[in-house]
Amino acid sequence: MSGNEIEISGLGKVFGQGASAFRALSDINLTIGTGEFFTLLGPSGCGKTTLLRTIAGFEAPSSGSLRINGEEVAAKGPNARPVNTVFQNYALFPHMSVAQNIGFGLKMLGKPKSEIDATVAEMLRLVRMEAMKDRKPSEISGGQQQRVALARALAPRPRVLLLDEPLSALDLKLRKEMQSELKRLQSETGITFVFVTHDQEEALTMSDRIAVMSAGRILQLGTPHEIYHAPADRFVADFIGDTNFLTVPVAASDGQAATVTLPGGTQAAARLPEGMIPVTGQEVTAVVRPEQATLMPAGQGEMQATVGTSTFFGTDTHIHLTLSDGQGFILRRQNATDMASPEPGQTVGIGLGAGTLRILKD
Amino acid sequence: MAARDDTERHGWKWLLSAPALLVLLVAASGPLMIVAVYSFLSPGNIGGVTWDFSTEGWFKVFFSRDIFEPENVSWNWANLTVFGRTVWLSVQTTLICAFLGFPTAWFIATRTPEKRALWLFLITIPFWTNLLIRTFAIQELIRGTGMINTVLMALGIIDEPLQLLYSNFAILLGMAYVFLPLMVLPLYAAMDKLDFRLVEAGYDLYASRARVLWHVILPLVKPGFVAGSILVFIPSIGAYVTPRVLGGGRTMMLGNLIALQFGQGRNWPLGAALSMLLLIVVMAALVFYLRAVNSEEGKRRG
Repeated sequence: MSGNEIEISGLGKVFGQGASAFRALSDINLTIGTGEFFTLLGPSGCGKTTLLRTIAGFEAPSSGSLRINGEEVAAKGPNARPVNTVFQNYALFPHMSVAQNIGFGLKMLGKPKSEIDATVAEMLRLVRMEAMKDRKPSEISGGQQQRVALARALAPRPRVLLLDEPLSALDLKLRKEMQSELKRLQSETGITFVFVTHDQEEALTMSDRIAVMSAGRILQLGTPHEIYHAPADRFVADFIGDTNFLTVPVAASDGQAATVTLPGGTQAAARLPEGMIPVTGQEVTAVVRPEQATLMPAGQGEMQATVGTSTFFGTDTHIHLTLSDGQGFILRRQNATDMASPEPGQTVGIGLGAGTLRILKD
Repeated sequence: MAARDDTERHGWKWLLSAPALLVLLVAASGPLMIVAVYSFLSPGNIGGVTWDFSTEGWFKVFFSRDIFEPENVSWNWANLTVFGRTVWLSVQTTLICAFLGFPTAWFIATRTPEKRALWLFLITIPFWTNLLIRTFAIQELIRGTGMINTVLMALGIIDEPLQLLYSNFAILLGMAYVFLPLMVLPLYAAMDKLDFRLVEAGYDLYASRARVLWHVILPLVKPGFVAGSILVFIPSIGAYVTPRVLGGGRTMMLGNLIALQFGQGRNWPLGAALSMLLLIVVMAALVFYLRAVNSEEGKRRG
């Protein structure tokens, strides 16, 4: 990664006017590095697609600046930006063959025919669609259309490739295949990818960095590791992976770490988010990932709980527990062959390793 | 097994279409046959036909004989002019409707769904009034002491009234006005189905507005153009009321010429032959048009 491909500052977008105005994006500040696989993650309606469409040029920002490769492009149309989009439903031209679709961008750029043919052949090879080059989009499968859409967007060698939930229409197996295909294409071409998805797992597995969005704002910006292990707030913690939220009183706090009183009375150290200094006795929200807690015999561990239902997931089992003060807790245990699920109603201990407990900002 | 069951089950069901078939046979094929037969008979003295086989009707469509020297045969330029004018005016009408209809349909298709219904409703309003009334309204607009001339003279732009009425221009204006909705509606239907993400994809892939229009939008709404052109061209070529009212006696179209033969001309076989010619022209034009459209498709595919 060298240099900044996209620099967004103070970007806002308002749809409509007056009373019916809808603020889709508020004060977006974002820098995406060259060659980065960057993901915009959030639930539907969070503004991620609007942000992508603004980068592409389909929406004009209401405020703020948008630079691509150092050049201000906020006032430019989509055809004047070195950016191509892979649309959610591919948007392949139905009246053109696969090869014509892929060559369209180059043709519009006025490239000579020999160059177009060479690039189209190269792209067909890259997405392994050589045999289908004369077919119409309606004559190939969804996964193949997806690959053609990718090739069409990559053919003009854009500086940035924008992908709007490109895998959401595919079935699970094909989606997994395309995920690794996308990673391969990105490393082979070195093009900056901006990827929009609502699938947190997809975001975690593919991205160099993720921006988690909600209600038109970026809530947290970081690597998948940071986002998962150090969620900035309750929304991010809830949206990314499964999380146990515990409402607990603070026993002591020194600005770096705090001690909280867990249900049952045990005191445990918990990490504090930056800039938060809770007072003793204040109720805070502490989070624990289900896989970071361990099941222990009754009497051991930091908390005691009653077993509810267990759900078998193949690789692991989710055990639903009720803590001594009535709060729910989910524990995720990796399955081994000889492991029996605990009986409902049984009392068990929950072990929390060092550093697993984390306090969230209000 | 299943196929045989199907034929057994559906074997008698065609009878359900029998009433419609009967109406078509009697009301459409019947008169057509009569016209075809009449075109090969001789004219009666006070209209009608006498049952003598003759190709004189067809002959007179294209040729005329000198009154004093019947052996002296020449092209019937009167008929051929009317014929040429009819085709030319119909082609022009279709083109004008396409040029005006496309932006109109585009405007409607890009409104919000509630507003679209309103605009479509407005487009169909002229159909509520009798064609004759609407044509006379156009006449009122463009005649010597009509609205346009009065206003232009009052403004001092012209000194004497423009001769707009009774010209090819008047016919063209009337037909374009009358047939425009027939182009707008199928075009709108095609655009309504158009996936606007394809337009965005075009822009995204460096196409200018004009090139998105040419390479993406026009090919995709072509079925609308084809349907609209057929719907406009066919009634144009057989138009009667509009050229009668706006074209006057001199600038006739084929429809008027045919009517003349069955009326004052008292030459039913000639009128029948002209009618058959009209039918042949329409069919030929359709076949030619659809072939051209499809072969272009084939080229694109290849």
